[in-house]
Amino acid sequence: MERRVVLLAAAATLLLSVHVEGQGRGGAAQNAPPATARTGAAFDMTGYWVSEVTEKWRFRMLVPDKGDYQMVPLNPEGRKVADAWDPTRDQASGEACRSYGAGGLLQVPGRLHITWQDDNTLRMDTDSGTQTRLLHFGGSPPPNTEPSWQGYSAAVWGGAEPRDRRDGFGGPAQDATGRVVVLPAQRKEADYLRVTTTRMRPGYLQKNGVPYSANALLEEYFDTFSDAYTKNTWLSVTTVVTDPQYLVEPLIMHAHFKKLPDATGWDPTPCRADEPR
Amino acid sequence: MRSTILFLVLFVLAAAPASAQFAFAPSAVDLTGEWAPRVYNTHMDIGDYTGIPLNDEGRLRAQSWHPDQLDMPENLCRPHPIDIGLRVSVSQLRISTELDPETRQPVGLRLHVWWQEPEQVIYLDGRPHPSPHAPHKWSGFSTGWWERNTLVYRTTHLKEAYLTRTGVPKSVKAEVTTRVHRYGNLLTIVFIIHDPAYLTQPYIRASSWVLDPNQVIPPFPCEITPEGTIVPAGKVPNFLPGQNDVLRDFPTEYGIPFESALGGAETLYPEYIKTMKTLKVAPRTTTTHYRRTQ
Repeated sequence: MERRVVLLAAAATLLLSVHVEGQGRGGAAQNAPPATARTGAAFDMTGYWVSEVTEKWRFRMLVPDKGDYQMVPLNPEGRKVADAWDPTRDQASGEACRSYGAGGLLQVPGRLHITWQDDNTLRMDTDSGTQTRLLHFGGSPPPNTEPSWQGYSAAVWGGAEPRDRRDGFGGPAQDATGRVVVLPAQRKEADYLRVTTTRMRPGYLQKNGVPYSANALLEEYFDTFSDAYTKNTWLSVTTVVTDPQYLVEPLIMHAHFKKLPDATGWDPTPCRADEPR
Repeated sequence: MRSTILFLVLFVLAAAPASAQFAFAPSAVDLTGEWAPRVYNTHMDIGDYTGIPLNDEGRLRAQSWHPDQLDMPENLCRPHPIDIGLRVSVSQLRISTELDPETRQPVGLRLHVWWQEPEQVIYLDGRPHPSPHAPHKWSGFSTGWWERNTLVYRTTHLKEAYLTRTGVPKSVKAEVTTRVHRYGNLLTIVFIIHDPAYLTQPYIRASSWVLDPNQVIPPFPCEITPEGTIVPAGKVPNFLPGQNDVLRDFPTEYGIPFESALGGAETLYPEYIKTMKTLKVAPRTTTTHYRRTQ
């Protein structure tokens, strides 16, 4: 009988520990890095999405007037460039895609189609301007990469850094050999997608010629969620543009997209300098 | 004996998640600290309802709003609910741990904003929301949970207030789901506002802050001037239906069809750009606008 009790207690303990472990992706398996970005994805971004323009509406659904850059922290050089904007000249000189570059693309109303091009490359097509962005996981820009409208985007599933001491889970720990290790309790799940883009051709943050330069650094944070009211799935993006050439401080922009069941409404357009999309 | 042991095992298994449900949920990420706003406001003009999924009732209330209402004694120091308080340009934010006053155990997080000093406690200890009949407050009642590393909280029991500083209303029936993301030293807060009285669908908007450990949030002294000093005593400035004579200034200045400036769910999507081309635009009076960044 006593043996049975011990066995039952052991079984219960085992079940309980499995239950607790199941609350997250903790444990030894969690410490092993995922084989590919696709298998390690924190969430699924693939599918069709449509932008819902609830903010900066008049800057996005219309082509704003020249010189209307109220919410952009331009420096004098940036204002000078913005004040010289000429859409006719852009269209004629083959620069009509300036407002569809990576720095401003997600502010342009339109639809996204996101797919995995391969296990470590997320592909984002837009119908507005018919652009393609490739988000490379684990890569760095090949040397001598020519600047392009979409630049080179390095992606990583972010937010998975070990917990810090303030969370009450303790700081770095050492194993018996003195190596710094991350304990399972300190491990966090990846939370968002962080994309860093460089090597862009000079482009526009808004349709009316508000500029970013070839030296601009674009950082984007993607997340998905479901809202409790409509049960729709949303993709939210926070964009940070750092460009000392034209901005006095980094510009932070937001955009969100509603998930669609299919390609209905997909409406490819060419780059147009004088149209909102 | 065997049945007793089995009962005990099942009890432990069943009780574990239940007890965890009512325990304080430790933070997945540290959100506490001083956060400096990087807020770029829209909706600063009367008659600018763009991008808001307003229904007819909300539109009617918004059109009756008069800016002089801000100068009425009862409104001079009226706090903003925190979802709008976090949207104004001086929304220095402090997030701290909220302790139970008796046990000194953490029960959630507290948000404090400089402008009008709204405070919001987000309970993370699993307590239920109060009865629907409980009093409504400026910052309502909020309970939160963690989704991956994102703090999500639901706020109910809000007083009637505004969605913008230009009189677009939010009703007493509104509730807000808020998502707080920390991206390194960047904080993004996404608000999902559900208001069955004045909106046809949830209204989503976001703002960001950057970590600023040395930020000092000063007090916000607010003095109420005596009744009659600015607005005549006993008067409530307003526009009767159809008599708002400044409503068309915004769409005229920016070349927007009047109907489009009034918002509505259909105006939020790319297809509406084509619709707008079929709508009448008032003759432009200017193409030079006030440059707030200069």
